[in-house]
Parts: sequence; structure tokens; C-alpha cells
Amino acid sequence: MRTLIVEMIEPKRLGELVTVSREFCEQPDIVAVGTGQIPGSFAKAYQVEDTVAANLVSDLASLIVNEGYEVILLTASTLGSGIAAPLSVKLSAPVVSEVIRIQPDLVVERPLYGGKAVASYKLNKMPAILTIRRKYFEAADLQGFTDSSLLSITEKKVELIAEKEEKTEGIPLEDAEVIVSGGRGIGTAENFSILQDLADLLNGAVGASRGAVDEGWAQPTQQVGQTGKIVAPSVYFALGISGASQHLAGIANAKCVVAINKDEEANIFKRARFGIVSDYKKIVPVLIETLKEEA
Amino acid sequence: MHIVVLAKVVPDYEVPAGDFELTNSRAHARYKRMMGLYDENAIESGVQLKEKYSSSLTIVSYGIKGDIQILRKAVAMGGEKLSLVVGNSDDPHIIAANLKMAIDKLEDVDLVLAGQQSADMDRGIVHGMLAEMLGFTFIPQVAKIEQDGDQWKVIQNTESGSSELKCGGKAVLSITSVPENVPRIPVVRSIFAAKKKPVDTLSEIEGDAMLIDEVLVNIPKMESVCEFLPAEDDMAETAKILLSKLREERLI
Ligand SMILES: Cc1cc2nc3c(=O)[nH]c(=O)nc-3n(C[C@H](O)[C@H](O)[C@H](O)COP(=O)(O)OP(=O)(O)OC[C@H]3O[C@@H](n4cnc5c(N)ncnc54)[C@H](O)[C@@H]3O)c2cc1C
Repeated sequence: MRTLIVEMIEPKRLGELVTVSREFCEQPDIVAVGTGQIPGSFAKAYQVEDTVAANLVSDLASLIVNEGYEVILLTASTLGSGIAAPLSVKLSAPVVSEVIRIQPDLVVERPLYGGKAVASYKLNKMPAILTIRRKYFEAADLQGFTDSSLLSITEKKVELIAEKEEKTEGIPLEDAEVIVSGGRGIGTAENFSILQDLADLLNGAVGASRGAVDEGWAQPTQQVGQTGKIVAPSVYFALGISGASQHLAGIANAKCVVAINKDEEANIFKRARFGIVSDYKKIVPVLIETLKEEA
Repeated sequence: MHIVVLAKVVPDYEVPAGDFELTNSRAHARYKRMMGLYDENAIESGVQLKEKYSSSLTIVSYGIKGDIQILRKAVAMGGEKLSLVVGNSDDPHIIAANLKMAIDKLEDVDLVLAGQQSADMDRGIVHGMLAEMLGFTFIPQVAKIEQDGDQWKVIQNTESGSSELKCGGKAVLSITSVPENVPRIPVVRSIFAAKKKPVDTLSEIEGDAMLIDEVLVNIPKMESVCEFLPAEDDMAETAKILLSKLREERLI
């Protein structure tokens, strides 16, 4: 099936979509968004520097119709969510967002009800648009680079004034093998610093629940969960996090969850391998001391 | 200026996974109904804009008549009226077409705000479809909105930080949650006043369904068994046990 990937030039995101594309075709085409070389080998590559979704929809729709693409793959991301739905109306095409599994015969799965249920859909009209949830498909190793031709933008609806990168100390959350996450139970922004101390000793990153982000104790870029980052670390420490299904949706692929919560009934213990029923303030400093002693 | 905020009433999204049940492939009817969490952020953002720019604010919803009672909360937060299209389709194209119909009826809408994702189907696509149907510009995951002459200046949250964007004309913005739009609890006076505010109920139009077949909805099993470590007295011992278990399994 003629498959088109539309994605930022970012090797891991591209790699995951290439893996998905193999369910539909041997080699996909790509519209690479942003600047720089396009990593990997694509049958045909187009490049567009404009990274604002609203500006891309019209020209993408024309390209899809002209080239007869049948499957359009995007990452479930700010860019993907800005393109997928308007494109679906332009093309009268079905769209399935946050896909986590592809079965044979064009059946795709996505979670709903905060991950408490999973629905499968049969794609029976092409083109179909899929946004793929991060970390559910192993990123393909992208070899070499592909030359591209320019995809020109005819309708600039939105102007990008500035971009701000949220600086994170150490390893990015998405790549961390150890994540120390805090929730509303952490109590204050200052208290988040001991999570950073623990993360540093374990060569990890600090995450947060939506509760903690809403309180302003952590950055939105640190939010883990279905509307935050999807992560897949070896160890995920959940401190003062109740374990709402929408939070758990972000850690479904974590190998081991360590939950520390004052409430023995907290839902997080149902997802945890190891649980400690305690105030996090009692155990975290001791963990830090023990790690320091061992170093 | 006339702002519309879309609000959807959903089954209790706080039901823990272990207690979750389906009937006819949807959340069991026994769960209490409540406003979508991100919709509350959208309403709060709309109310703040209304206060800043002296706009009017209408809440528009697609759902069942019984939802009116819950939608009054949205009105109490700062809306002037409620427009409900009565229908029970789950199809995003049909829902978007019906929301468009309700917005077209209002005639003078400049800005539509919606929560970035509903708290039941979790699709995050209806607002983008609606924008395209209305011919409005669509920007998702918006954290802050300002009027700048005849343009909108918005901050959009992204995976790595944020983007500052500007657009003219009419727009649909999906709203993310930030500390600044955590909803304020309406005062008692507003709750009473909301009971008297106008409610338009509209019959749904047919709309073209999205061509896709739902094959199955099921509840995945959660298989983790938690080993509780002692936490009564000797925390140093607990810390040692935990670290040695994580090392044993080569997790750290
Ligand atoms: C559509 C939708 C999308 C969502 N997306 C996300 C998402 O991406 N990520 C996300 O996290 N949430 C998300 N949510 C919100 C989610 O439903 C919860 O509201 C949120 O995860 C709660 O955050 P929390 O666990 O920090 O807070 P709470 O639920 O308030 O839990 C705080 C916990 O801290 C414990 N505690 C308190 N003090 C201490 C202490 N001193 N020591 C130890 N434990 C303590 C308490 O026992 C409690 O269990 C979403 C919701 C919806 C509807």
C-alpha cells in the first residue's frame, strides 16, 4: 500500500513510524518537516521547513490525492494532532489517533477511557490517517540519508514567532532508563529538588503527574501520561502519585514501577512491582544517602 | 467578540481501572456523568478572555438531554448561555458536523475553544475536524491566548517546550492544562444564576459518518503483582532491600 510518513526530522520519531510503515509497505515515502538531512532510506522524500501544522494541511492533502497515498502515518504529537483531523475532513478520510498496535488485515488498536479499554478498528476506506503513540513500536535503525524535493506551502495561515526549548538537566525523559516522577503528594515545588537528587544518582530524569504540573511544581514537558510523555524506562519511581489510569497510560511499557505512597489503597500499587507505603520524605532521603554511601 | 467553548459530558473518568466495566462496548451506564477535565481548562480560558476583552461566551455541547444539569456548571463558570445539540453518536465526523451546525446558528462566532482531549474516547480529533468544516484555523495544545490587534497570539505547548504563534481571522484552539487555567470554583450566586440562563436544545443533523468499523472494545488485563517492602521502622534497611532487588534484576 502506498504509505506516506509525515514527521519532524527526529530520528527516534521517524524510526518508530518506519517500523509501523512496514506493516503496510516495503518502503514508505516521507514528508520530512523541519531543516537538516533526512535520515533513513525512503522511496520518495519531500521536505518542508515550516513546522506549523495549520500551514501544511492543504498542500499535504493535494500531495496525498495526486500521489494516491493510501496510509498516512504521523506521530501522536503536537504536529500530528494539528494535521490529522483537519486532513481527515479535507480528504473525507478516516483517522485513528494514538494507535498502539497494528493487527493483520488493516485492524488497528487504540486505547480509550484513559487506557482502561482498548478498541480495535478495521480500516476499510483509503486513504486512512493514523497517529501513532510513542514508545509502542521499536524505532527502526535509520541508515544513510535520503535526498528530498521541496514541498512548497501555498497557504500560510499561522506565523511562528518564536520557539522555546524547555531545558532539562541530564537525560531527556523519553530516553531515560530511570525516571523519578512526583505527583501532587510532593507538596511543593521546592520538594521536587530531592527527586532530582535521586534521579541524578541513578543517571535518570525527573517526571511529573498532571497533578504536579497543574500545581506549577513541574514543567508541562515533564508530564508523564496519556496527554504527556509516553515513557518506557527500566525503572519508574512514582512518588506521591495516585495512579490514575491516564497517568498509567504513559508508563504501560515501563519494566518496573516502584510506588511510594502514604495511602496503601492508592491505585499505583496495582501497577507497581515494588511498593513502599510511606511518606516519600521518609524514604527518599535515605535512598539518596544509601546510594551516596555505595558510590 | 463572541467566544464559544465546547464542553462534553463524559462518564466518570476517575473510576480506577480495576472497577471499570463496559456495556455495549462503552463505559457502563452506572458511572456518574461529569464534565471532561480538559473542557474545564477550556472553559476557564474562555472565561478569562471574556473578562479581559468583554466578550460574550456561549457553551456548545453535543450530548444527551440529561447532560444539561452538568453543563450548567460550565455556564456557572462564566458562560451566558448553553446550546446543546441532542444526539448520542460517537462518530467524530458526525459530532463535528453537529457542533458546526450549532456554531453556524450563533452566526457571529470569532473563536472556538475546546479541551485538547475528551475524557472518554480520548481521541483529540473532533475540534480539528470542526475547524476544517468551519473554515477556521486550527491550533492544538494551546496554553495561553492574547488578542493582538486583529490577530490571536497564542502559546502552544510542544513536546520540547513551547511555540509562540500568531494568526488572523477565526480560529479553533484546543486547550491544554496549565496552572493559569486550572478552573476557579464558581461562587454560589453564579451557580444559582446559571439555572436561569438560556438553554437552546437543537435536534441533530445526520452528518456523514467516518468510514471505519469498530471491531471490538475490551478491557486489557493489568498483571502486576506488587511486593510491599517493610516501611515501619528501619528505612535504611528498606532502601537497601529495594536497591538490591532492582540490581538483582539488572534494572539499575
Ligand atoms: C483526558 C485526560 C487526560 C489526562 N492525562 C494525564 C496525564 O497525561 N498524566 C497524568 O498524570 N494525569 C493525567 N490526567 C489526570 C489524572 O486523571 C489525575 O487527575 C492525575 O494523574 C492526578 O495526579 P496525582 O496522582 O499527582 O494527584 P492525586 O490524585 O491527588 O494523588 C496524590 C497522591 O499523593 C499521595 N500522597 C500525598 N502526600 C504524600 C506523601 N507525603 N508521601 C507519599 N504520598 C503522598 C496521596 O496518597 C495520593 O495518592 C488526565 C485526565 C484526563 C481526564
